[in-house]
Amino acid sequence: MASLSEEVLLVLKKVRQRKQDGTLYLMAERIAWGPEGKDRFTVSHLYSDIRCQKISPDGKAKIQLQLVLHTGESSTFHFSNDSSALTDREAAKDLLQQLLPKFKKKANKELEEKNRMLQEDPVLFQLYKDLVVSQVISAEEFWANRMSTTNTENTLSDKKQDVGISAAFLADIRPQTDGCNGLRYNLTPDIIESIFRTYPAVQQKYGENVPHNLTEKEFWTRFFQSHYFHRDRISTGALDIFSECAKQDEKGNVTHLELYRYIRSGVLNVLTAEGLPKEKKIGGKPASTSNPNRTGKENSNSAIIKRFNHHSAMILAAGSRRGDAPNDQASETSSTDGNSRDSDLFQPPIKKVKLQEAIDYLDLQREDGPKTVALNLKKSDRYAHGPVPLESQKYTTSQDIINSITCIRHEMANYVPNLAQVLTSSAVSSAIAALSPGGVLMQTGTQQAINQMVPSEVQGELKHLYIAAGELLRHFWTCFPVNSPFLEEKVVKMRSNLERFQMTKLRPFQEKVQRQYLSANITGHLEEMLQTAYNKLHAWQTRRMMRKI
Amino acid sequence: MKLNIEGLLVYFPYDYIYPEQYSYMLELKRTLDAKGHGVLEMPSGTGKTISLLSLILAYQKAYPLEITKLIYCSRTVPEIEKVVEELRKLIEFHCKETGEANNFLALALSSRKNLCIHPEILHANIVVYSYHYLLDPKIADLVSKELTKKAVVVFDEAHNIDNVCIDSMSVNITRRTLDRCTSNVETLQTTIQRIKETDAAKLKEEYRRLVEGLKEANVARVTDVYLGNPVLPAEVLQEAVPGSIRTAEHFVGFLKRFLEYLKSRLRVHHVVQESAPQFLKDIFQKVCIDRKPLRFCAERLRSLLRTLEISDLTDFSAITLISNFATLVSTYSQGFTIIIEPFEDRTPSIANPVLHFSCMDPSIAIKPVFERFQSVIITSGTLSPLDIYPKILDFRPVTVASFTMTLARTCLCPLIVGRGNDQVALSSKFETREDFAVIRNYGNLLLEMSGVVPDGIVAFFTSYMYMENIVASWYEQGILENIQRNKLIFIETPDAAETSMALEKYQEACENGRGAILLSVARGKVSEGIDFVHHFGRAVIMFGVPYVYTQSRILKARLEYLRDQFQIRENDFLTFDAMRHAAQCVGRVIRGKTDYGLMIFADKRYARADKRGKLPRWIQEHISDGSLNLTVDETVQMSKHFLRQMAQPFRQEDQLGLSLLTIEQLESEEMLKKISQMAHQA
Repeated sequence: MASLSEEVLLVLKKVRQRKQDGTLYLMAERIAWGPEGKDRFTVSHLYSDIRCQKISPDGKAKIQLQLVLHTGESSTFHFSNDSSALTDREAAKDLLQQLLPKFKKKANKELEEKNRMLQEDPVLFQLYKDLVVSQVISAEEFWANRMSTTNTENTLSDKKQDVGISAAFLADIRPQTDGCNGLRYNLTPDIIESIFRTYPAVQQKYGENVPHNLTEKEFWTRFFQSHYFHRDRISTGALDIFSECAKQDEKGNVTHLELYRYIRSGVLNVLTAEGLPKEKKIGGKPASTSNPNRTGKENSNSAIIKRFNHHSAMILAAGSRRGDAPNDQASETSSTDGNSRDSDLFQPPIKKVKLQEAIDYLDLQREDGPKTVALNLKKSDRYAHGPVPLESQKYTTSQDIINSITCIRHEMANYVPNLAQVLTSSAVSSAIAALSPGGVLMQTGTQQAINQMVPSEVQGELKHLYIAAGELLRHFWTCFPVNSPFLEEKVVKMRSNLERFQMTKLRPFQEKVQRQYLSANITGHLEEMLQTAYNKLHAWQTRRMMRKI
Repeated sequence: MKLNIEGLLVYFPYDYIYPEQYSYMLELKRTLDAKGHGVLEMPSGTGKTISLLSLILAYQKAYPLEITKLIYCSRTVPEIEKVVEELRKLIEFHCKETGEANNFLALALSSRKNLCIHPEILHANIVVYSYHYLLDPKIADLVSKELTKKAVVVFDEAHNIDNVCIDSMSVNITRRTLDRCTSNVETLQTTIQRIKETDAAKLKEEYRRLVEGLKEANVARVTDVYLGNPVLPAEVLQEAVPGSIRTAEHFVGFLKRFLEYLKSRLRVHHVVQESAPQFLKDIFQKVCIDRKPLRFCAERLRSLLRTLEISDLTDFSAITLISNFATLVSTYSQGFTIIIEPFEDRTPSIANPVLHFSCMDPSIAIKPVFERFQSVIITSGTLSPLDIYPKILDFRPVTVASFTMTLARTCLCPLIVGRGNDQVALSSKFETREDFAVIRNYGNLLLEMSGVVPDGIVAFFTSYMYMENIVASWYEQGILENIQRNKLIFIETPDAAETSMALEKYQEACENGRGAILLSVARGKVSEGIDFVHHFGRAVIMFGVPYVYTQSRILKARLEYLRDQFQIRENDFLTFDAMRHAAQCVGRVIRGKTDYGLMIFADKRYARADKRGKLPRWIQEHISDGSLNLTVDETVQMSKHFLRQMAQPFRQEDQLGLSLLTIEQLESEEMLKKISQMAHQA
């Protein structure tokens, strides 16, 4: 029981797990359960391993709490204390609710990242199995190096692309009837975020009112009751905290409209499509935009239309807002969407360009631009499915290839056979024979033989060994030059890692190979590499000793 | 590129040319040669404007005595700006090629800001302005009346020219108009009083002038200096202003009487419809106003305002309107009708009397133009059926031609959706307008298309009311929510500014890849003048046939008139009108040969020959027999197929020789033969 010293935050008795009574403990970093009468935990999860918790709906006979782990496994706890089952569950739920996000943030990111890397890279995965699972080095050591290399490239993708907002997110909130004349809305954090991003005014209200004036639940209840959410509802009463939001939005809209009445952006503006101001016509009556005598139905219809336009505009704005200023959401609420963009319209050059675009017939002009090469796909299915991950390969850049081709071409062009110094044909043929596989000079080499001599699973194993050894050696060699205490420590540790590798991995393999194929020495090169590393370390150590003396 | 159009050297500012452009220029030149009028239809996006400008400019250069001026009329300010830009490009090219300095003077009149550069118009070679400057009698008088006879007048985007003509001659009088008139008259009265005290000689001088009559104007018209003013009929010019309204006070009194009469006419409780002679008879019986002074009303008021040296004419718009009405009603016994409605049809409880003095004959407004100018060209992307325009505008063209778009690939895909997946017939006709099955199927069509078509979709409804109802029931049925999963939705509203904003947002959404749907109304602001180039519109869906609201009395009167005077059957005209608007709507999506788009006609009535036959040829020829009565599913399948094909790269080489020609290809015997055939087909 390593956890005796842990701080226990909550203890709940009479909690069943797998039909066994027991006690649930919530501790600082993990949740654990032990069967009654035994002093060990049969279930123990670190909070950082937990993806989410689920609870049984109200009114169900069994009061349960389920924990879903990142691995996909789950444990279900059944609260069976007759008198306080519900309160117990609520207590556990609430505590978890507070605790989980804390761990989630840091753990999740890393874990996901690692998981992703392992999934995307089978070689790395194999390496992980070889080194970590078989406990040659610890997981931290394995990742310590990995993450630092990946982090640099991740800085680019770190500013990950924002996910846009689905235009139908409000529609996704499907209300469910709870059987007794009420509606239940299920809100996920995603939906809430969508609402906030689309309607910054709501977020502002949320900030102002929750939690001091309203609980979160009350806030959302009011939100769904408000006309703000129901687009066809006409505003009722000033009690509604969202009426202000609507007003604010409206104000944003109106200022925009005002702006529009003054800006004539030209090509795409319908206002100017009228051609002439109305009063020029004989008897042109001023266009009556709003008809005061519309029926309620018509009013609500046009309200829907307005809301749709507004909603779409807000969503569009939410997208561009993110791009412009990611950390400046709250302050932008008043100016909803970029007035700055509109000011561009004041600039005549844009109009000019637009006009130019509108009148230009590109296909009537000769193309002046550089000739581009059309993409010619030989295997279009490969293009469609993306590259299949292969074993790691050494790639030569195309520039290298081009360079070498020109080089060779150049040499070939200048090649002049020196006919005075050629061998006789018999000498040539004997030389070729000697250099061919199986020839006199080629007998010592194993390369040509290995694929014939050794079965493929051994080959595969050898390959893994090579990769693992390579990885360890890479760690080792990156320690040089050793210029910090950390590196000193690491290089020594790496040596022991290498030795351990040699002992636990290489040796058994060698023995296995020897048992089967006595003659072939296929691990010679690996040993050589390890030996070189030892030698280097040894040299470094003796030099250091000398210096110390 | 330098072209040889039947012996005329034309500078064309591009390296290549479309075959139809050449053909268009050929027909245009023949029209000019014959000194006659022409009706030419060519799809938008095939460079109509540049062809027109190139040819007429070359013609002016070659025969400066035959044609001295080009008057180019377009409908909207953006259009005018485009034309000016093209002209600039052409002139630059001209100068570069010939090495001469520019000796063309072009002038654009777009808004009141730069109106009245009077002397300059006389010297400009090219004038670009709005229809109204030529057709609206009031403005035409100010701007265009001194334009030379030897001018070519071009009406671009002229598919709606009859309505512009009618609007320019029609007058609507409400209570508010009359109230403003009353205050106008009061101002006049006080001003006259003041002048009488200070400068009585001025008024006497005016009186003398009026006695001499409108001789000057008559001299001018006889000697053919001025463009005729339809409001100022020829007879008026030969007579002196009648004595009863010759002095200023008498005239003001006369106006007052006339106003009172109009006020009494507006106090009706039921709809009144009468002809101009009936109206004149009534006014004579009730307030003893004769026909003759009424006819001089407009001219008399103008003279008075001039004498009183009132500078700001806009304040007097109401009284000017009334005097114009007086002159018109007493001049034309035919072609006009008077309808007095005590309330609007939709709101019978609220009194809002309106006197419509409605012009039913578009030829009245445009007659002076046809009579005065040597060549008048009416052109647009959609003028089908071509024979109806000469009929309703009452002129005889020497050339009538429709050009199709030569295409290297079929880049437009007109489909007629007649049924839903449940085989319910789709139609916007009155009987099924409220039918939920139809509305649901329409919604399903839009939903399916929103999942298939990339970027922008524009949908048109037949009217605002219809759109509002459909949107509401789609909302209730949750269809809009599902559409929102695919695209953002923007909707046109009656408010121009709001629509502009929705439109801009729509374009933004298309631009950033999000994709959007614009719901709008045929005959609305979007359907005319807003282009949906490339990704801004990959599909247009026309929900229903956009018939005009037939219960309107004005329309009924017009239909009757058309039937009696021009032997055009009511249904023919209504269908023609509906189809030209439908064509305008769907035509928004194709703006050139590199563009592509779906045109979906969602109403089974489009399949009928009488409807289909009225679409422009360049759309009609792509409607196959297999796509006349599709279900929603079939439409989606065909759209997918079409869009996949269109998404393939399309290069200039693909077009070259087929729909795009080099000068060498153009001059080849074979091609010339093909092109001449093209024109003959029309």
